Amino acid sequence: MSQRIVVDPVTRIEGHLRVEADIQNGKIVDAFSSGTMVRGIEKILKGRDPRDAWAFVGRVCGVCTSIHSLASVRTVEDALNITIPPNAELVRNLMFATLYMHDHVVHFYHLHALDWVDIVSALKADPKKTSEIAQSISNYPKSSPGYFSDLIKRLTKYVESGQLGIFANGYWGHSAYKLPPEVNLIGVAHYLEALEWQKEIVKIQAIFGGKNPHPNFLVGGMACSIGLDDVSSINAERLAHVEQLLKDAKEFITQVYIPDLLAIAPYYLDWGAIGGGLGNYLAYGDLPTNGYRDTSSYKFPPGAILNKDLSRVYEVNMREDGEIQEFINNSWYDYAGGNDKGLHPWKGETEIKYTGPQPPFEHLDTNKAYSFIKTPRWKGNAMEVGPLARVLVGYASGKEEYKEIVDSTLSKLGVPATALFSTLGRTAARGLESALMADWALDFYDELINNIRNGDTRMANMDMFNPEKWPAKAMGVGHTEAPRGALGHWIVIEDKKIANYQLVVPTTWNASPRDAAGKQSAYEAALMDTPVADSNQPVEILRTIHSFDPCLACAVH
Amino acid sequence: MAATTHLLRRVFVWELPVRVYHWVNALSITILCITGYLIGKPPAFMFSGEAWERYWFGWIRYIHFATAYIFVFNFIFRLYWGFVGNKYANWKNFIPTNKKFWAEIWQVLKIDILQIKSGGHMSVGHNALAGFIYFFTFLAFVVQVITGFGLYEAMSDNWFAKLFAWVPVLAGNDMLLRNIHHLFMWFFILFTIIHVYLVFYHDYVEGRGEISSMGGGWKFIEEEEFHHHQKEEQKESKK
Amino acid sequence: MSSRNERKSYYEELRHSGYSRRDFMKFCATVAAYLGLEASGVSQIAKALQDKPRIPVIWLHFQECTCCSESFIRSSHPIVADILLDKLSLDYTETLMAASGHQAEKCMRDTMEKYKGEYVLCIEGSVPTEADGVYCMIGGRTSMDILKEAASGAKAVIAWGSCASNGCVQSAKPNPTGATPIHKIIKGVPLIKVPGCPPIGEVMAGVLVHIITFGTLPELDGIGRPKAFYSKRVHDTCYRRPFYDAGLFVETFDDENAKKGYCLYKVGCKGPTTYNACGVTKWNGGTSYPIQSGHGCFGCSEENYWDAGALYARAQPFPGFGIESDADKIGTAAAIATGVGIAAHAVMTNLRKSKLIDDVIEEGKEAEKEL
Ligand code: HEM
Ligand code: HEM
Ligand code: NFV
Ligand code: SF4
Ligand code: SF4
Ligand code: F3S
Ligand SMILES: [Mg+2]
Repeated sequence: MSQRIVVDPVTRIEGHLRVEADIQNGKIVDAFSSGTMVRGIEKILKGRDPRDAWAFVGRVCGVCTSIHSLASVRTVEDALNITIPPNAELVRNLMFATLYMHDHVVHFYHLHALDWVDIVSALKADPKKTSEIAQSISNYPKSSPGYFSDLIKRLTKYVESGQLGIFANGYWGHSAYKLPPEVNLIGVAHYLEALEWQKEIVKIQAIFGGKNPHPNFLVGGMACSIGLDDVSSINAERLAHVEQLLKDAKEFITQVYIPDLLAIAPYYLDWGAIGGGLGNYLAYGDLPTNGYRDTSSYKFPPGAILNKDLSRVYEVNMREDGEIQEFINNSWYDYAGGNDKGLHPWKGETEIKYTGPQPPFEHLDTNKAYSFIKTPRWKGNAMEVGPLARVLVGYASGKEEYKEIVDSTLSKLGVPATALFSTLGRTAARGLESALMADWALDFYDELINNIRNGDTRMANMDMFNPEKWPAKAMGVGHTEAPRGALGHWIVIEDKKIANYQLVVPTTWNASPRDAAGKQSAYEAALMDTPVADSNQPVEILRTIHSFDPCLACAVH
Repeated sequence: MAATTHLLRRVFVWELPVRVYHWVNALSITILCITGYLIGKPPAFMFSGEAWERYWFGWIRYIHFATAYIFVFNFIFRLYWGFVGNKYANWKNFIPTNKKFWAEIWQVLKIDILQIKSGGHMSVGHNALAGFIYFFTFLAFVVQVITGFGLYEAMSDNWFAKLFAWVPVLAGNDMLLRNIHHLFMWFFILFTIIHVYLVFYHDYVEGRGEISSMGGGWKFIEEEEFHHHQKEEQKESKK
Repeated sequence: MSSRNERKSYYEELRHSGYSRRDFMKFCATVAAYLGLEASGVSQIAKALQDKPRIPVIWLHFQECTCCSESFIRSSHPIVADILLDKLSLDYTETLMAASGHQAEKCMRDTMEKYKGEYVLCIEGSVPTEADGVYCMIGGRTSMDILKEAASGAKAVIAWGSCASNGCVQSAKPNPTGATPIHKIIKGVPLIKVPGCPPIGEVMAGVLVHIITFGTLPELDGIGRPKAFYSKRVHDTCYRRPFYDAGLFVETFDDENAKKGYCLYKVGCKGPTTYNACGVTKWNGGTSYPIQSGHGCFGCSEENYWDAGALYARAQPFPGFGIESDADKIGTAAAIATGVGIAAHAVMTNLRKSKLIDDVIEEGKEAEKEL
């Protein structure tokens, strides 16, 4: 007999995720992922001004803040056939890079690290030894014995207060924690450093978008005009601020994040064979260097990989009726034309209908619908999206940058390429693309400066902003690569108003319930066969689930 | 055809305070509408100088607020005069308190608006329909004062403005206040168009010196009408 | 609200419940052993436990997007590491806490029991009231249920952000889940609204620091917002105000006027009707704020702002008259209609009352002749 365990709330994620898992002989034999909060934002968008949509969908998520707004303005621009000026594309790329560096670092240290780093063990570390290790892996300046012994004192005082705050009731001392105290201490130190650093990098979004979280976007370009003779427009001071922040970010990523990743990974190489899951990967691609419509210019190439076969990258068409579809066989919704057909997002519907157990309840009835997340499929396939998908698509597409960084990391860790298809692979891929991003961002910056120097200061194309010029009916699709994976928005505009708006979001792909055929989506598939040493302290479930960086507000919206 | 000759009686209708009130009111509403419209929809000016050289929008707003104070105190004064002024100024002229009032409204509608009937007795002050419409105008004044000072309250330390601190709290959203405030401007514009037309209409059709009455305070009514109203008044006072 | 000094320490509580000093020291030794500390740690633990505890905080997440938590960790003064380690004890927050599942639920229960009437309850997100609350469930319970229980023992409730203070985006029409702000559900507990989508990080930290440092709630305005941050309109603290007063406006985005930093009023800025600290405190450590980066304010801290007018229009479209109609268009139409009506009336007057008018004119002419 298997034992059903429940993890709800799954914490250190965005939003409300519930995992139920059946454990037999110390292994997961079945798993269910459920999103338990819904807002109905797709319904709220109906009848509104398409130019306002970015602000509404921006509020889908404050963690991957800005990315839905980006997808939204692209969707409307696609429908109205607007081409934005090169500077706006570059600024959007800089906003994008900023989000990535922020989101990935915060995920690694604040949402994921405590699955691998035992904070209580860190108290036993020897500051001198810690300092030696730290200096051997990086030349980050904050690594003296004094720095670490001060930290131990601070932590000890904190722990002794008896009020453990956010660290209370963790799985401290669990046998699955493998790091020596010194590496644990480095992890804790950088948890705090990263907490301080993360508030800096987002200033780039504040400069171009006015604030973070939830910066401003604009259909047709960006609202931040370049005005070298104005104090608040993008001028020399603002640009210099951006450059400094980008340089600091690169330093943090290359001297803290990546070395920590490489220092922790060797203790957990067994996780290179756990949590692989589907083996199907999907990316829409992003970061245009020659305009959004030229997908071949993307830094993140688009494509799909099936069955871990890196020799072939499939093309994905977001407009084609039969390619991307959303199913609701196991979700709490109703489709007007019957619940067993998938709908392409242009025809998508959002009619919420809860049929689960009446709360309070112990267990979901997983034989019926069991989630507010819909189930997206690509040509019927369940797909994993996210950093790993992007890195694999880049790698399989033969892009030099990817080959270089992936191969060198594999050889540093001494693991085969198959280790990528795993929980560890997912976490590593996030680090690798952060490192790429830190470089790319500086390139985007240089190019922006170059354009301005050459006299191009255009930031928005307002030709089609006035609704009087719009056609009676228009349809658009916009895509981006959100930090958690491929993100698409679809719009139908009628009478200058939104007639339909649908989002298919990364975490919708990954965290969705199984489809009509019983085929699991990425979370559930990745949990299969995961060993769980102590069903009362299922740290292993958290490791794999966290490796996806769940965002449930996104998944359901 | 020889017309019947009328002997006209001079009646003092509008006391000086009412006349002064009227013109201050008319002027301030005109100014408030113009400045208010500009505040809501500023025109585009091409300008190559520097911001400190100009302050026209600030002046527009300043005029709006200064006029608002004049408008509101003038209005408060008129409310007071509704209790102490002569019978034509009395508040009872504005609120239908009896059957006679409603009957007269109906009569005016038939005679002046639908023009399906002519003749009958004309009131000396405002007719009942006009009075009733002024009543709504006064309510509109109140709305405009509440929304206006509600908006103004946060940018002023003046005690009077601060009396309206409850307004944004009640409305919840200032945008709502602005939209109401803006919408009511159109009430005043429509009122003014119709009102001025009707004043000319009455002057033209009745020949009682309607227009000049707001200048000198006099109206000129027919001798027969005078006696009719006199009798009416006596009946009233006997009751 | 009672001051921090009145709160009992662990030691006092134990003594109060009849334990001896010896029992207490034994307890400290157990804690030390559990934490893997040396013998010297025992006395330190004992000392800490005799000190006053940090204010316990329970931070709940309902219908939200976590941007409030994200904004909070952006605070630059104090920085969040210091708030978390030194200033308060954040005992429950799904975003950052180490524990998950029933261990997490235990954290909440422990604090609710141990610090009844003492903890500060922070709420991020609105509460769905439709369908018996099933649109937001945590641990198999509805958010409504959890909120009511947690609020019953709270010393004060902080409603973070527009979601908790006014319902925010999910309560925009047609509000499919019945998303409801906290003050409409919780009565009888002091409640502070900190609206904004999200609120500024330093403002959030400021509210907490006020409570910790002064032991009182900050003074609130009529709507329940801290006066310190919400008593001025963005417009009245906006550095583009001189352009407004000079009547110099951006006409469309990225035009010449935009490059000169003119006022954004005509491209829809809602600063004139929005109460927030953006113009003074600014965002992200004073880096910028929406208007500074060229986009108008859209009133994210105002009640009902999603339904209070389009982003790029100054006036609200008129219900029932289509997306393009505002008061001016309707007013103009009404004025034209009135003009037509008047003209018709004037013509009718001359026709139907011609006899009356003729008489008056005749009478006048006769008098003229007689003179
Ligand atoms: C007949 C009387 C009035 C009319 C027709 C009128 C009209 C207007 C209009 C059309 C606006 C522009 C609204 C918009 O579209 O945003 C406005 C703004 C305003 N009015 Fe009035 N108004 C009147 C009386 C008052 C009064 C009595 C006050 C009291 C102080 C007042 C205070 C304001 C304020 C504070 C604003 C906003 C100005 C700003 O924030 O820059 N108004 N008014
Ligand atoms: C050429 C311009 C105007 C003339 C000749 C004029 C004349 C008059 C006359 C004769 C009356 C008395 C009405 C009656 O006997 O029933 C009156 C009353 C009134 N008028 Fe005007 N008016 C003018 C403009 C305005 C304007 C612009 C306004 C404001 C929008 C205004 C507001 C009022 C009000 C509120 C009353 C009622 C007065 C009271 O009894 O308190 N008038 N006007
Ligand atoms: N899933 C998701 Fe997002 C991301 N990354 C959005 O598109 O997190 Ni909030
Ligand atoms: S108020 Fe805004 S930022 Fe905060 S949770 Fe709600 S939607 Fe997100
Ligand atoms: S930009 Fe907005 S807040 Fe600033 S002065 Fe203009 S209207 Fe006011
Ligand atoms: S949109 Fe919000 S962030 Fe400030 S400037 Fe306006 S209140
Ligand atoms: Mg969707």
